[in-house]
Amino acid sequence: MSAGALFAARALLSRLLPFALFLAAWQALATSGLIAANFLPSVRAVAGALIDLGASPSFYADLGITLWRSLGGLMLGAVIGIPLGAGMAVSRGVDGLFGPLVKATYSLPKTALIPLLLLWLGVGSATSMVAVMFSTLLPFVVYTYHGIAGVPQILVWSARAMGTAQRRLLWKVLLPASLQAILTGLRIALGFSFVIAIAAEMIAANTGVGKLMFIYGESGAYDYMFAAVTAIVALAFVADRITVSISNRLLRWDDIENRLG
Amino acid sequence: MVMRPVRAIARSVMRGIVACYPLILLAIAWEAVARLGYVRPVFLPPLSAVIERMIPLTLAGDLLQPLAVSLYRAAAGLALAIVLGVAIGLLMARMRAVRWLIDPLIAFGFPSPKIAFLPIFILWFGIDHLTKIALVAFTCVFPVIVAAYAGATTVPTNQLWAARAMGTTSLALTWRVVLPASLPSLMSGVRVGVPYALVTAFTAEMIAGGGGLGGEMVLAQRYFETPTVFAYLLVMLATGYLIDHGVLALRRRVLRWHEDAGARDL
Repeated sequence: MSAGALFAARALLSRLLPFALFLAAWQALATSGLIAANFLPSVRAVAGALIDLGASPSFYADLGITLWRSLGGLMLGAVIGIPLGAGMAVSRGVDGLFGPLVKATYSLPKTALIPLLLLWLGVGSATSMVAVMFSTLLPFVVYTYHGIAGVPQILVWSARAMGTAQRRLLWKVLLPASLQAILTGLRIALGFSFVIAIAAEMIAANTGVGKLMFIYGESGAYDYMFAAVTAIVALAFVADRITVSISNRLLRWDDIENRLG
Repeated sequence: MVMRPVRAIARSVMRGIVACYPLILLAIAWEAVARLGYVRPVFLPPLSAVIERMIPLTLAGDLLQPLAVSLYRAAAGLALAIVLGVAIGLLMARMRAVRWLIDPLIAFGFPSPKIAFLPIFILWFGIDHLTKIALVAFTCVFPVIVAAYAGATTVPTNQLWAARAMGTTSLALTWRVVLPASLPSLMSGVRVGVPYALVTAFTAEMIAGGGGLGGEMVLAQRYFETPTVFAYLLVMLATGYLIDHGVLALRRRVLRWHEDAGARDL
């Protein structure tokens, strides 16, 4: 093993050790008898439940549904939000029309739409997805807008001077130069998408991990409830890391300080 | 002499109204679509009916009482998050061992959907105030920790040396030098936390019940009281807007001495 790899392995181990300490403290607290087993299932019990869930197809079905609702809604938010943000940045008319709407709804807690969507679309994936779409729309709009509005004017002038047409200017200059901002928006939107999808399932749904947690909680299967929470938190973490690594790959050409953490 | 400012004010008010034309158009379109009977009132009541509903709701205390409950939960949770977050963030900045222990946990916890922990919090704290306050605190503590830590690490080493040379103790150094110097960053963290606090309180109420605007809204939806649902929605929108702008104004006042005071961030 080279010195570099050894160093990296040590650094990783040093970052993982706090998690091991956390789990050890949890296990010690749960088995100490200070807290009733109902209140805090032991790490062993939760790990057993997690392995059990990992072998059950119906759990993957619930996980898949939650993922479909969050990522599907995220896609809708991107498809509408990025062009809208770009349009607002390049056209005063579009900005004048949508700018006040964005400003007025920016601070609305987006979950407030869920009861309304339940009235309109009923209980099911449509409600979750549209709620996710609305909540992810604004980060895409705002970050795309600021990304494009922040492109140095000198880049635009240079491209124009070289005879670049308006449409090519958008694809070849404005969008690449604002890619970093758009990807930051994507990362924020991804976080929102999980929160809203899970919240919508908890408020009213028949399927999905959000619903499953409450079923376990109501039937007193607390080790399974903790396992389901662990699974969705781990999934959200992996999704976030994948987004960061894809973003950094896309931004390879850009300055190193513009990459995401 | 008096007329000029009046006219200037009138002109700027006019300009404000003109700039808001899309909102006015939206309100007119909403009213028209509902009045002309394109949609059933149970799905979309006219805006005027929603405003009409707000009057008896207000008089009966059914708007302000739930709003006060929600705001109390959001504020208590945020306050808890600020106290815990500042303590953890400053400790991380001043002590390596704490940073080593906490940093990976924060990196893992920050992007996690906190709402997923609600069933656990309900198990621990029941379905009343405490669960919502705890979830709000858990959601808001991450940005506060990161902001406090970031702010504390930007204190110029010269200032630390100067304070030490003048015989400042370690505790006083943290309190009188590091904390004020990290205030600008901290305020940004709190500003991020405020909307999180509101949305978390509303959402937890929608899921777990127990009153508040979120709880009342879901109840109204279950009884198909659509105008009431919209009334609560408008109150939430106004609350979010006013609080967001209030925090910005507060930031400008508190940080008057700081060069970033006028800076606007999104």
